[in-house]
Amino acid sequence: MKAKGFKLVSAGLLMLVALTLFGYAKEDVTLTIMWADWEPAHLLLKLAKDFTKETEIKMRGNFVPWPQYHDKMFTEFASHRTSFDLCLPDSQWIGEAVEGGHLLDLTDWIKERVDLNNYPDMVMRSYGEYPDGSGRYYGVPGLLDFVLFAYRKDLFDDPKEKAAFKEKYGYELGVPETWEQIRDIAEFFTRPDKNLYGIALWQAPLATAGLVDEFLGLFWSKGGRLWSGREKKVVGYLNDEAGYEAAKLWAELYKYHPKGAANYSVSEALTAMQQGLVAMIATYAAFYPALLDPEKSLYHDKIGFFTSPAGTDPSGKKHHYVQLGGQGMSISAYTPYKEECKKFLEWWLREETQWKFAEAGQITPDKRVVENDRFLKLAPINKVVRESLPLLRDFWEIPEYNEMAEYMSRKLNQACLGQITPKEAMDDIAKKHEEILRARGYY
Amino acid sequence: MLDKIGGRVSDRALKWIFLIPTFLFLLFIVIFPLIWSLGLSFCDYNAARGGSPRFVGFNNYRHILSSREVWERFAITGRYVALAVLGEFVIGFTLALLLNREFYGKGLITTLFLLPMMFSPVVIGTFFRLMLDANWGIVDYLLNRLLGLPKIAWTSSPKFALYSLVICDVWIWTPFMLLMSLAGLSTVPRYLYEAAEIDRASWWFKFRYITLPYIAPLLILALLFRSMDALRFFDKVYVLTGGGPGEMTQTVPYYIYKVAFSYWRTGESCALAYILVIMIIGLSSIYIHYLNRLSAR
Repeated sequence: MKAKGFKLVSAGLLMLVALTLFGYAKEDVTLTIMWADWEPAHLLLKLAKDFTKETEIKMRGNFVPWPQYHDKMFTEFASHRTSFDLCLPDSQWIGEAVEGGHLLDLTDWIKERVDLNNYPDMVMRSYGEYPDGSGRYYGVPGLLDFVLFAYRKDLFDDPKEKAAFKEKYGYELGVPETWEQIRDIAEFFTRPDKNLYGIALWQAPLATAGLVDEFLGLFWSKGGRLWSGREKKVVGYLNDEAGYEAAKLWAELYKYHPKGAANYSVSEALTAMQQGLVAMIATYAAFYPALLDPEKSLYHDKIGFFTSPAGTDPSGKKHHYVQLGGQGMSISAYTPYKEECKKFLEWWLREETQWKFAEAGQITPDKRVVENDRFLKLAPINKVVRESLPLLRDFWEIPEYNEMAEYMSRKLNQACLGQITPKEAMDDIAKKHEEILRARGYY
Repeated sequence: MLDKIGGRVSDRALKWIFLIPTFLFLLFIVIFPLIWSLGLSFCDYNAARGGSPRFVGFNNYRHILSSREVWERFAITGRYVALAVLGEFVIGFTLALLLNREFYGKGLITTLFLLPMMFSPVVIGTFFRLMLDANWGIVDYLLNRLLGLPKIAWTSSPKFALYSLVICDVWIWTPFMLLMSLAGLSTVPRYLYEAAEIDRASWWFKFRYITLPYIAPLLILALLFRSMDALRFFDKVYVLTGGGPGEMTQTVPYYIYKVAFSYWRTGESCALAYILVIMIIGLSSIYIHYLNRLSAR
């Protein structure tokens, strides 16, 4: 009887231990992903239900409005404890995050699990690699984004407008292929008496989603250089003839903006287009759905898209670059769920997931998707995506980018408003950039 | 139960029992950050990177005080504070004079005047941004359609951007001046006015020699509070102009935010914050000096 009782107690204890262990092994893991509060983030969370089905790892979002996104992420990083496990930092934030030790080093994992041939070099460099050319990776491609142009097809295709344009400028009115053509078309459609203006570009003095993001497409296409390369010398490079030409054309374009456009950023430019105030805008591609939404846009059925145009440098050589935006997907160095996060990245990079993302109208940099002709039919901007992918270029990714970009924005903003000349702006910027880099010990 | 405790614990001990948690709480959330940030102001430190702060002595202060950029921002802040506080004072005090009499609906009208002060400045800033927009804002629409004036780029032109901030601040904080002035006016004894009436004193005489001496201390207090608050204002710049166009509306608090959380020069931002605090204390001392002189009379 005693033995029987002992056996029963032992069996009960064993069961308890087994249940505890089983319960432990089956502990609910929920990964939190931090991103800006916008459509791609909500779509990602929706698609992640497949990941949860497959792995039983739950996903939730911590989505922050764009204006507060950087500060929220980095104040959490600064406390060395994050409320999120995965994050999608804007491409230029990678240096700031890596230097602080806030992102998990994924180099070995990427070399083992990711086929880098699926992505253009510039995409891996901007979303994952730091420092440039080091071969150290801290993120995988997340959302591809870049600057594209939207235009009013009803104005561009109007036979009367076409005839008047040809008479004035001597060539056909159509989708512009050079920045000079952009200027001509913007000038042509600027009719303040009819409350119509040529163009709305981002002019706000912000480091993210501000003037610099859109100016640099023009700057590079005019042959501009931000610095000398490894030495990072700025004076004489940023403010060379090509730089002056780019700044001059940028300031000239401001004349064809709606009144008060000096603080335009994403929403102001989109609203200008939605309300029919302008003939053209430039914006990050990810925002295009807002232009085609009948609830928001009066001209939703009259809007077309084109690739950021080419330019020529002072020696006559042609250049064509498109400013890259978008975000990589990284793992917080402070998450206790590093392996689970890697599983999520692996799921995200699958061709099947990327197709689902593209089918929902979002933009992927995965060449397996973009180079397939089926991709062209998925969204009205996809032709532009394919054209822009090989032309992408990104700016500084060092931690000082914020101060450098903001200073550049402020000075060019002043040049647009006629407070200083474009040449003075570029000279000031070059001097200040060297000052910032010197203070941080780059030379 | 309470009697039981009261029987065992002395009044003196009870006082400390209540005081110590509050004191520790204040020490933790106010005094410690104050001392910590003072220490950081003498260091080269980047909070985003972490690591140990590197002591640099007065370098941060030297760098700030010799920087043209910083002085430009102090000048912008000074202009803003002077215009906003003066505007609020003039309008608030005038309204208080008008409201300082008995009439039907006085309570309701006074409450309505106080409403702007009760909204969040960020919400008001966002509304002003929309209302002052040159293309679809109601302000330009009315000026243009009703008065035939040209459109003004309120928040983005170098000429008007600072005024747009001033207008927004005046709208929010005039009620505070109104309230303080009304409180002051209600303390003036009626019999003094009656006596002055008998002597056929002019409106100006009554204002200068009866009203003003009574309400001056309260007005100085109101000016002190508003100046201190306006000197450290941040939210409306963030929402309304973002510091632009160019650098035209980058006030010192906004610049401190940029240096601290965008450029991550934590030590330098602490030093700049302390310089601002010293300036606010200096300005407050001037007001308090006048306040004491008036009280002594």
